Amino acid sequence: MAIKPTPSTTTPHPPTFPAHTFAKLAPPTYLTAHLTSKGGPIRPSGRSPTQFRTPTCHAGSLTHAHGSAVVRCGDTAVVCGVRGEILRAEDVADYRPKAVEEEERVDMEMHSFQKVTKEKREDSEEMACLGLLVPNLELATGCSPTHLPGGPPSTLAQTLSQRILTLLHTSNLLSIHDLRIWFRPPASPPTRQGQEHEVMGEEEEMAKAEVKAFWVLYIDILFISLDGNPFDAACLALLAALRNTRLPRAWYDADRELVLCSDDPAESKQLHLYDMPVPLSFGVFEGDEEAKGKKWILADMDGFEEGLCRENITIVVGEEKRVVRIEKDGGGSFGGRDMRGLVELAGQRRMEWIMILRNGLP
Amino acid sequence: MDRRRVNGPPGGTTPPCYASTSSGKTHPSSKRTRGANEIRKIFLKTGLTPSASGSAYFELETPPTNHSNSLTNRTPALKLTCTVHGPRPLPRSAPFSPQLLLSTRVKFAPFAARQRRGYIPDSSERDLAAHLETALRGVLIGERWPKSGVDVVITVLEGEEDCPWHALAAGNQNGRTGGWGMMSILSGCITVASAALTDAGIDCVDVVIGGVAAIVRQPAAPAQLVLDPCPSDHEEIIAACVIGYLQSRDEVTETWAKGNITASSDGMGTTPMGFDALVDQAVEAAVAARRVLVEAIREGTEAKIQGSQIDFHAIGAALNIKENAARMRFYRLRKAIEEGEPGATPTKAATTPTKRKKDQANSDEGSAKKVKDEEVVDEAEGGEEGEGN
Repeated sequence: MAIKPTPSTTTPHPPTFPAHTFAKLAPPTYLTAHLTSKGGPIRPSGRSPTQFRTPTCHAGSLTHAHGSAVVRCGDTAVVCGVRGEILRAEDVADYRPKAVEEEERVDMEMHSFQKVTKEKREDSEEMACLGLLVPNLELATGCSPTHLPGGPPSTLAQTLSQRILTLLHTSNLLSIHDLRIWFRPPASPPTRQGQEHEVMGEEEEMAKAEVKAFWVLYIDILFISLDGNPFDAACLALLAALRNTRLPRAWYDADRELVLCSDDPAESKQLHLYDMPVPLSFGVFEGDEEAKGKKWILADMDGFEEGLCRENITIVVGEEKRVVRIEKDGGGSFGGRDMRGLVELAGQRRMEWIMILRNGLP
Repeated sequence: MDRRRVNGPPGGTTPPCYASTSSGKTHPSSKRTRGANEIRKIFLKTGLTPSASGSAYFELETPPTNHSNSLTNRTPALKLTCTVHGPRPLPRSAPFSPQLLLSTRVKFAPFAARQRRGYIPDSSERDLAAHLETALRGVLIGERWPKSGVDVVITVLEGEEDCPWHALAAGNQNGRTGGWGMMSILSGCITVASAALTDAGIDCVDVVIGGVAAIVRQPAAPAQLVLDPCPSDHEEIIAACVIGYLQSRDEVTETWAKGNITASSDGMGTTPMGFDALVDQAVEAAVAARRVLVEAIREGTEAKIQGSQIDFHAIGAALNIKENAARMRFYRLRKAIEEGEPGATPTKAATTPTKRKKDQANSDEGSAKKVKDEEVVDEAEGGEEGEGN
């Protein structure tokens, strides 16, 4: 793609620009020229407007995390590590134990989907209250020249962290059942003679299982390289890392008043993911002065395109193309009618991602 | 409390406490399987972050673990990423600087160590950054970029441990709070930063390589000098030394030694184990690592050259030679790099296809890309005299 200005009288050869110079000098014109090219709209990266980059995913490469994943999506590369730590129930200010039974989890799987939905929502509320999910997104790793370390997290990093936190809670991705650590006192205490008297007195109360502690999941997402669409890449890394997470078996030791874990990998348990919410981000490009009134929807934008689109849409779809979340900002040229097609597209992407997540994991 | 990040529960959380370790039951510690003169295998790759001027990824080989039946004592492998941003103009408010201003930052990822690390830089990270800056300042030819700055940012994705896990679990660190893992991390940081600086095309007098050596002692055995110690392999580390070494000039830009060196020369060993011996061994480790670095730089450069189509016609026009002559010069240079001694030539060639802007450009020959390629030939003709200063 080159532009030839009218030759002046003094220079015999008019200067020509290579494509990347053109892109730097007049970005909107450059993108419009691509999108209005004769062979149909095509983006500078060679993709069609609604084509997304195929990600690659590699899970379980970090030693110290309970779950981890490395995701590369075009030139955007993300590392996500999930680490479990223990929150004791007595450390929670005004903690009121809910009337839940340990066995409930087994029953739940027999419930129908609709019945469970309400319970899930309550669980999510409880998780949010206790703060069991702690996602943090770090851009200040020098992943792009605009994000250098030193100073507080940028607005973008803060926004993305909050968006991921909201997504975790609204999508009911995880269940609090997996994160509870139970203590069930022995029903018949005569094994320990010294304590027999004391325990016998409280038998009524103690026989009931109680939640002694919770797992808190610290989810840290680090960008190694950033070239557009950080939210989608972060979400894929998050999903892959959560799928990869194995928490050790934990129990409450009444004698030492401690939560202990087993270091046997065979006893550790995988986190159960109840859904696979897959986001798809779009931008609406309105063209330069010559292409007034036209608009193009660009899926999975790279860094160059992101700088040119004012209107951004993110659609998160779950199972059976159920819309989990729609985020939209920056303009009004895009209506509900167009949204339907995008949901369809996001559904396709979800299938693709699920394949990648399955194949990318051991 | 940091309100700009998502914080954990206000009550605070504790890392999982494992029953096997708290009851005193320990697994046998891993043993060093390689020889005293062998370093771990290094994986090094440049160009991982396209939007940065230069970048590199560094990984040490995962040590073979013969007891993977436990979640607690899996040995980590050092993993580092490095990005270089610049050279770029300093902000207007900054005072005049006749030289390139170097700023280095080292940050541990929260999941880099056994204990979760926070996002606020701590003293050990600042310490590493300061050491790294000293190591790099000596190789940069700073006077070629007045009024500019360059940022070197390293993220430690996975660190190295300070001592064998069972010692840590038992709370018995043999007084080893000093952090021997830091030594290996610094050595890795120096090597990866050097690769990234070369990838960014910033002129250096040579590549600087990190090397570590240590005096270690197993129980009931004399002290021993080893290259590239993995702290979790050794019962006791008496002293360790990191250097930043320039092979072609035989210079050292950075030395960091720790521990009690005299304690090891208590007559038990036959070989001398003074500070000099330690530094010599660290140099040895650096020399061994250099081959990997040079190879990584060569691969990165080749990928770049292949990525850009070379217009020999334009180069020929610019140099006033025929197109074929330009082509021949290019291939001759490339052959020389591939076959030549791993001294000054490869690093030089690697620094040449830079993003440096030359104004003697473009109206008649054509694109900026062509200018870039022209430099490859141009500077090869210039030979090595220009290199040393």
